[in-house]
Amino acid sequence: MSHKISSTIVILVGILGLFACLPEAFAQEDRFKLPPLPPAEEYGNILISRNSIRNGVKPVFFSHWQHRMKYTCRVCHSELEFNMKVNTTEITELGNRKKRYCGACHNGKIAFRPNGNCEKCHTGDKSSGNSKFSVFDESPFPRTSFGNNIDWVESMKRGLISPATYLKTKSEDMPFDKTLQLTTDWNFVTPSVFSHKVHTQWLDCSNCHPDIFNIKKKSTENFSMAYILRGAFCGACHLKVAFPIHDCQRCHLEKKEKP
Amino acid sequence: MKKIFFAIVLAVCLTGLAFAQTGVKRKKQKPYEYGMVKIDNFSVKAGIAPVIFDHWRHRARYTCRLCHVDIGFGMKTGATQIRALNNMRGYYCGTCHNGKTIYDNKVLFAACSTETSKANDPRCAKCHYTDKLQKKEDEFYDFAKKYPKGRFGNGIDWEKAEETGLIKPIDFIEGLSMKRMNITAQKDFSLGSKFQGMPDIIFSHKKHTVWNGCEVCHPEIFIGIKKGTNKYTMVEIFDGKYCGACHISVAFPMADCQRCHTKSVQQ
Repeated sequence: MSHKISSTIVILVGILGLFACLPEAFAQEDRFKLPPLPPAEEYGNILISRNSIRNGVKPVFFSHWQHRMKYTCRVCHSELEFNMKVNTTEITELGNRKKRYCGACHNGKIAFRPNGNCEKCHTGDKSSGNSKFSVFDESPFPRTSFGNNIDWVESMKRGLISPATYLKTKSEDMPFDKTLQLTTDWNFVTPSVFSHKVHTQWLDCSNCHPDIFNIKKKSTENFSMAYILRGAFCGACHLKVAFPIHDCQRCHLEKKEKP
Repeated sequence: MKKIFFAIVLAVCLTGLAFAQTGVKRKKQKPYEYGMVKIDNFSVKAGIAPVIFDHWRHRARYTCRLCHVDIGFGMKTGATQIRALNNMRGYYCGTCHNGKTIYDNKVLFAACSTETSKANDPRCAKCHYTDKLQKKEDEFYDFAKKYPKGRFGNGIDWEKAEETGLIKPIDFIEGLSMKRMNITAQKDFSLGSKFQGMPDIIFSHKKHTVWNGCEVCHPEIFIGIKKGTNKYTMVEIFDGKYCGACHISVAFPMADCQRCHTKSVQQ
């Protein structure tokens, strides 16, 4: 009997120990393992196949860069109810035909209609849009070294693109432009500078708050590069669609020379 | 040995789950799911499916106050402990769903009527929902077409729908509600925010009293002694206190920051 009790205690302690040490172990392991980046013209491209393959059609090819030239993130990820993880949104053919999801624009009025255009999306190939990438050579788009190699923020500032902020339901803009400085663990890394203003040009408050960045301050105690690399916090966007975190100095701004 | 292995697997899985909750975007609730309440105090034990209640269906026709004050439904799921017998006797759901009340030239079906005791009666399935939720979704989108679009929650701008007369929610049931004195609503006022640069909240009593009268909020949710006595924090509100009593689950959700944090009074 006592043997049984002691073994239960051992198991319980083991579980507690695992809980305590696992996060740290994970954190140490992948601290600076940056994921490999696809070529610039394929950055942000995704293949959507929730039911496609099962229904005998090729997965849907979706290119973020093609869409973000004309629409801000919030149009699709807030107004049109697209989730932020691939294959978690219940997009159906019927839904599209009823003008939800893709069908909100792809209705033959704003963009090409679904009828007779199956192959335009159901390509099953992430590189389907590559030939159109030359559009960036035609005008003097500001460049970066990572992601799509396009400085989207600067492009918007210069008026090279002017993506729409809503389709039907306009949101009141919030005049909140606080810039935050996030200090780092190490002396030689400059603080990360976060500008609300740059983000609200593309996003609605609710895209980030309260899920990704909770207003409860305690939820950001795990706010570290290791978590970001796993897709939490900034990593929700800045790994796959917005400029990748490989571009260190876009957040950790270079130190200004002391006068 | 097997047990220990199982425990380790369980622990690893749980840690994974714990990670998944930090700093990650959650799946968005669908418009028809917003305000959907699953009530199961006695149903499953009695061998019948739980009740699925849609707020959207009801709030297009009745004010919040009518059910939550006059009829006496609590504000937390399951808190009201509604029994079939209550409904049969004309309380709770049975107040309107009595087979006599006429709404829009239709007689409202009788909830938990005494004439039936079989679990698979189609009349039971109207509330003790066994169909696929897809059906509700289709019904919702058919319904929502008629109303101005909102950004969050049900995707319907209920406030505007009421203002423009598209919906005229009933606030009085003969023989149950009491005739109340008209109180002129206080003028819109602002609540300062702690965070510099964050626009103040403009609170409008007028917009709220249409649906809630006084009694839904006062004195339980807001004691309302004197302005400035209570300091509200977003953390508390997100925990379901104060505004969070409604603006998490039924009224437009707090993700719609700009709807409260407006600098100038909206006309």
